[in-house]
Amino acid sequence: MAIPYEFGYEKPLTLEEAIQLLGKHGKNARVLAGGTDLANEVKQGFRVPEVLIDIKGIDSLRKIEIIDDRLHIGALVTFNEILESKAVQDNAYILYEAAGLVASNGVRNRATMVGNICSAVACMDSAAPLLVHDATIHCLSVDGQRDVTVQKWFVDNRKTAIGEKELVTHVSIPIPKLKYAGAYQKMMRYSGEDLSQANVGVLLFSDGKCNVAFGSVGPIPKRSPKLEAFIKEKGINSQSIADAKEMISKIIAPITDVRATKEYRMHMTKVMFERAINTAVERLKKPKLITKK
Amino acid sequence: MEEYKFIGKSAIRVDGKEKVSGAALYTDDLEFGPDLLYAEIVEGPHAHAMILSIDTSEAEKVPEVLAVVTGKDFPYNFGLYMKDRFIFAQDRVRFFGEQIAAVVARTPQAAKKAAKLVKVSYAPLPKVLSPIDAVKKNADLIHPDLENYEHVPWFFPKPKSNIAHHRKIRKGNVDQGFKDADYVLEDTYEVPRYSHCAIEYHAAVAKYDHSGRLTVWASSQSPHTQRNLFANALAPLGLKHNDVRVIAPHVGGGFGSKAGVTMEIIAAAVAMKVQGHPVKVLWNREREFYNTYQRLGVVAKLKIGVKKDGRITALHHELFWDAGAYVEYGANVVNAVGLSAIGPYKVENASIDSYCIYTNLPPGGPYRGFGYSEFLFGLESHMDRIAKHLGIDPIEIRRRNAIKEGDLTAYGAHMNPNGLLQAIDAVEKEIKWSEKLKSSNPDIAIGKGFSLFWKAPAMPPNASSSCFLKMNEDASINLLVSGMDLGQGFLTVMAQIAAEILSVPTSKIRTENPDTDRNPYEWQTVASHITWGCGNAVKKAAIDARDQIFDLIARTNFLPKDMLYLEDEKVKCKSDPSFELALRDFVINGIQMEDGTFKGGPIIGRGSFMPEYTSTNANPETSQGGHPNVHYTVGAAAAIIEIDKQTGKVKVKKIVEAVDCGKALNPSLVDGQIVGGIMQGISTVLYEDMKFDHRGKMLNPNFTDYKIPTALDVPDEIIPIIIEVAQPDGPFGARGMGEHTMIPVAPMIANAIDNALGIRIKTMPITAEKICLEILKKEKE
Repeated sequence: MAIPYEFGYEKPLTLEEAIQLLGKHGKNARVLAGGTDLANEVKQGFRVPEVLIDIKGIDSLRKIEIIDDRLHIGALVTFNEILESKAVQDNAYILYEAAGLVASNGVRNRATMVGNICSAVACMDSAAPLLVHDATIHCLSVDGQRDVTVQKWFVDNRKTAIGEKELVTHVSIPIPKLKYAGAYQKMMRYSGEDLSQANVGVLLFSDGKCNVAFGSVGPIPKRSPKLEAFIKEKGINSQSIADAKEMISKIIAPITDVRATKEYRMHMTKVMFERAINTAVERLKKPKLITKK
Repeated sequence: MEEYKFIGKSAIRVDGKEKVSGAALYTDDLEFGPDLLYAEIVEGPHAHAMILSIDTSEAEKVPEVLAVVTGKDFPYNFGLYMKDRFIFAQDRVRFFGEQIAAVVARTPQAAKKAAKLVKVSYAPLPKVLSPIDAVKKNADLIHPDLENYEHVPWFFPKPKSNIAHHRKIRKGNVDQGFKDADYVLEDTYEVPRYSHCAIEYHAAVAKYDHSGRLTVWASSQSPHTQRNLFANALAPLGLKHNDVRVIAPHVGGGFGSKAGVTMEIIAAAVAMKVQGHPVKVLWNREREFYNTYQRLGVVAKLKIGVKKDGRITALHHELFWDAGAYVEYGANVVNAVGLSAIGPYKVENASIDSYCIYTNLPPGGPYRGFGYSEFLFGLESHMDRIAKHLGIDPIEIRRRNAIKEGDLTAYGAHMNPNGLLQAIDAVEKEIKWSEKLKSSNPDIAIGKGFSLFWKAPAMPPNASSSCFLKMNEDASINLLVSGMDLGQGFLTVMAQIAAEILSVPTSKIRTENPDTDRNPYEWQTVASHITWGCGNAVKKAAIDARDQIFDLIARTNFLPKDMLYLEDEKVKCKSDPSFELALRDFVINGIQMEDGTFKGGPIIGRGSFMPEYTSTNANPETSQGGHPNVHYTVGAAAAIIEIDKQTGKVKVKKIVEAVDCGKALNPSLVDGQIVGGIMQGISTVLYEDMKFDHRGKMLNPNFTDYKIPTALDVPDEIIPIIIEVAQPDGPFGARGMGEHTMIPVAPMIANAIDNALGIRIKTMPITAEKICLEILKKEKE
């Protein structure tokens, strides 16, 4: 498809070069990694930058590694690379589960997880897993390194806490010391590739702590401390799940759009919450599986 | 039973290797050299508005732009059955996204840039977005000039209204029929618009050269009909039919969307303004949705009366079609349904009113099934509900009412031979209808559903096909036809027919997509008529060639012609077993006589076919008296589904479908049509959900939000069943079956949902969301 808009193109080969370019162009630049969101926006003239900074030449951003009890995922790591990573499967299974539901195989070959949370479209799949895992987003600019917790990362639909001159280099996830298990549920209109109309992430620990995140049911994905405290206090049983489902009505505020009505989104979020928590309970029973390094 | 060597065998597709290897070229793949220009369209941002002015001056200044054209350049009407369409909007825009102007430039970038600079001022008009609103008193008129449009004699437009056509059936005594009924069920069913979703976009390249001829390369189901419409529409510019040439490369899916003429006329017209240059018009996915054809939407009011034993005493079917802004093709969908909306049943007393209604939505047109999927959704839902009320098995009620050979159709003609009862029996057995199923998971409900289907080709009474068959030195054959292989395997089947008559294997027969200069006339590849219609033409051409061969042998070898036959590419003689002569020895160079002279010459077969018993002459108030349809194809289908009661999600476990194709010329291609049709049916009932906003703008013209199934959504099991009750005038008994296969799916799934949950859904699509909200509503009650 022809692009009738003009823009500059830079391809730095080092991190240093990249942040210098971002320092120079700031908000007039956009960073190109997988490009699966960006290319569409440029083609449609929706957000055309003066200059595209293509970071695909910076190999150091293409790594998944475990450093000091944290799982690091670089800015160029694609969803299919996440799916192929034993480190992710062992230490953040819920992220692996969510990655398998992102778009189609072809898109997953290109799309990156960091790009997903930088585009920050409300229906993204990466947010709920990162939220329940208390991930940190690591930003770099000419002014130095800055770390942002995932809780503070999402500001609004398509808006994050990233600075104009900043590049996200990687995301890191603390590897829990306790035994834990997670589950991800995504509401889709069919079995093929779809953008989630709602999603739920649950991470359950052996001490009864339970992290819960809701995605695609508001401008930003979010955790619910109130719900988490309730589960921790009451334990997991049919009554507490029923009560927690009632609480969800007040926690999320889904909208009606071309993909689904708010009524169905609300209902499905409750069903998915129940299914996710039951799955997590089952998974926690299995002998595990705390892999380190 | 006659033994065939090539017919009834699953011959390998002649186009298979080329396509699966990726070597096949489609219109957008063709190279046209450095003179190629690109056209970009300026679209109207209103569903209904007057065009006050168009200023192209800024666009013309963009470098590399050669021409900017508007409706003023082409003040011509065109259309297949009614000339109500324009190349570019004239004084009025009638749907959101309609083409207003085009920019022609050396690059697509320049054309796009310039298109954004065309300034159009509009005076918006009140818009009509539903057929029910459009027929209200004082509704705004979308075509104030309706009465002036030329149309085929079987249409009945109502001047000064939005009704472009009204097909009426009046048969028997309907009032008495309802009085005689023990039970009458009346309800309304709604089926919205759908999109074809062919994977290949519409594409057309046109060149008006310095010899004065217009060549159009187009992704097409209808090369000759396109040539006819181009020549007619552009006749004021001096074109004759033989000046126009349409070349049709491979097609990446049609489903009706590439029949007739839509965007191709833009390429043809624009090329006339830049003589010597080929001009490419390439649609994108968005325009595939809102500016080709869409399947028409319908609101169907249905009333059926029955006796206690389930026998139908009367039927009244009123259909209000949302036909869109232009109905030049879509009005015939309305007509076809008007003639057939009794379904495959014997109904003595029937009245049908099928209204073609203009709305300010994209033009409605042909789509696989041609209206039958739409009305059978209601009718087959209705039959299930009646059976349930009477306590009769849903299959039994259909068996009791099934139409049989010789029964009268709604318009009073006799029903053709058919295997409807065999299809019912075969499906009932294969699906194990009486077996009760229950899931061990309390969240899962299991349901079974059943549906019949029928459909006739909807064609002008004189729609025809023809064929040239050229034999070569080695007895290989070039078979020239103008039907299109749309993926159904048409070319392969034509080769099989010629092979059977001439004993030349299909591997030695080359059939390719047409060029209207070289290949003989074909009406269109639509209506599931092509195997039957073009197949008859091919058979005639092959018999013509065979006659020439036998004549030659008879006069050179002094053998009785009626004793000659062909076998293994040789002429043999029943009365003289010692005689045999290979075709390759004479089909081009003739047969040398003792005196050294030669007799014969190249064997060239010719066949043309037109049904000579069809007629649309009928009383417009009753539709009695004519014979508009050549035949009906019938069948039955059943499904087993699982529903997740918490989410409303449907998983189709098994589908069985039996279709009476008269004779399956290539059984594996028939199976392919059944599987493909079932998937398209599943798609329309469960997933596809077209949405418009209050402005009449389509909200989901993309596969992000308009869902068609993937491999993950295919049922666990699909069982195709072939029934063969020969069609007397079909080639080897064959009749069409391509479109039919999707028709039963929607009502069958609706019936299965009711069977599983006791919830009757009367509007399509039946998405998981719709089912789930209905379950929640029922739980509250």
